[in-house]
Amino acid sequence: MIKNNVEDKVTISGSHSSRFMREIRVAWAIATKDMLTYYTKPAALMFGILFPFTLFLSFSIGRDIPLAQQIPMLIAQTLFFASSSIGPVVIPMERANQTFDRFLTAPVTLLSVLMGKTLAGIIYGVGISIIPVIVGVSFFGSQIVNVGALIACFALSSLAFSALGIMFASIPGQTPGQVMMPLNFVRIPLLFISGIFTPIGDLPTWMQVVSLLSPLTHTVELARYGLGTGGFFGPIINIAVLGGYAAVFVFMSVRFHILNQRKE
Amino acid sequence: MDNAVETKNLTKYYDKLLAVDHINFETKKGEVFGFLGPNGAGKTTTIRMLTGISKPTEGTATVMGYDIQRQPIQAKEQMGIVPDVSNIYSELSAWDNLVFTGKLYDLPKELRDTKAEELLKMFGLYERRREKVQGFSRGMKRRICIAMALMNRSSIVFLDEPTSGLDVQSVLIIRETIRKLNQEGLTIFITTHNLEEASQMCDRVAIINRGKIAAIDTPEKLKRTIQGLQSVEVAFASTPVNALNDLKEFPDIREVVKEGDKFRLFTDDPSSVLASVWNYSQSNNLNLITVNTLGPSLEDVFVNLTGIRPTTEESKRSDKNK
Repeated sequence: MIKNNVEDKVTISGSHSSRFMREIRVAWAIATKDMLTYYTKPAALMFGILFPFTLFLSFSIGRDIPLAQQIPMLIAQTLFFASSSIGPVVIPMERANQTFDRFLTAPVTLLSVLMGKTLAGIIYGVGISIIPVIVGVSFFGSQIVNVGALIACFALSSLAFSALGIMFASIPGQTPGQVMMPLNFVRIPLLFISGIFTPIGDLPTWMQVVSLLSPLTHTVELARYGLGTGGFFGPIINIAVLGGYAAVFVFMSVRFHILNQRKE
Repeated sequence: MDNAVETKNLTKYYDKLLAVDHINFETKKGEVFGFLGPNGAGKTTTIRMLTGISKPTEGTATVMGYDIQRQPIQAKEQMGIVPDVSNIYSELSAWDNLVFTGKLYDLPKELRDTKAEELLKMFGLYERRREKVQGFSRGMKRRICIAMALMNRSSIVFLDEPTSGLDVQSVLIIRETIRKLNQEGLTIFITTHNLEEASQMCDRVAIINRGKIAAIDTPEKLKRTIQGLQSVEVAFASTPVNALNDLKEFPDIREVVKEGDKFRLFTDDPSSVLASVWNYSQSNNLNLITVNTLGPSLEDVFVNLTGIRPTTEESKRSDKNK
């Protein structure tokens, strides 16, 4: 039978560092559970893998650009779509079968819960987007000339886009489609202003200003710096803008989920 | 601090709809506290506020002395929750569900494994621990859900309709488990539609109706508040088609309710009704197989306070035929 032994009891009223470590462990547990449970769900496969690869092929086939130069575009698209797709798949499904309530009743902060969810999106995005790098380097003559830029590209983009997905997942809904639809209203237009299909240098000035505001622009540019094909705004601006967006999206996702809890 | 749960003016609005209306009550440590009420009365909303899922619009609630708003982590550490829906991960195995819950409470690995094994054995599911729970029956899923609520060795467990719609075996296992856990000192906060279950299991019950606490006391004391309401239960070997209408014509009858193959005749004068029943059976050549005089039940208290009689399949069919 279950014993309520005092010595058994794990208390969290320890130091700040042990409390912090506890939050990290719980966030990691949530991320690994999401990986096991949701990575192979049809909505995750469709919006996270099929969608960016299909888009890439439909815009690249028949264009007179060497494949090695197109690899950064594919990296950026997969990072963008894969990272931002996990939250909108996981959270509505968990809301529908009420498993999201488990996190709200667990002795952890909402920030840790959402960080766990964000981490699942980051790992999914990085895991898928690394494939074009390996394929490009192995088969199409791509060369990694700036490891730092590539690491910054992967780390900041996956964080920002995963948090973007979590932010949209605060939209009340119990199916991934209810979140994916408004998210795609944002994601798809960004493709056309972010220098993926048209180099930013070829755009009119006002469009260049708009591209500066798109986080995807800076993912594409950092991927290009990493693989030695050059960029427009420069890596410092790319890192600063992407870092800023990552912070804003994380903050907004937590705020929106807190607001949701008040309406529950 | 003798109270496991304490609420002060706890209130919840959904836009303009008042779901819970300034309720005040206490649950003592170590008791089984029943929270009864018709659908939409505010039972689940109250549990959701007490467990931190939902934020109250107004008022406060403490669980084991911790304010759920100001000290949510400490309060949540004290509780286990079984919601009205078995919210388990159907893609994971029974074992993984329990282990994941242990991780949410940051239990060390050894303790997680020991607890998971202990609980799965206790609920008769250890042999099927490696199977994904999506293939489990409703009752088995419910047992897993309760086992998950016990992973963190809480001081209080909130159970929202734990036996609703389950097979008999699961109901018996769950009731027995609740009794044992309570005997070991765990406070149980339970909502149920099953008034008989509440009457048998709860030390005290609160009846909530339209968001307000209508009564709160021990089941026996609540029954005594309507002591005047007595009834005679009768069953015939073969029931005449128009028996219900005939019985309603008896003198001194307040209400007649058909309960399965029996009739319950509510009255202030059981002896007069007994005589009428005897005369009716003789004049219609009916064989009386059951005659009981009954005091008020918790269900009668519930009906008296809420004006709602819990529907049975039998009464639903009867209403449909009318």
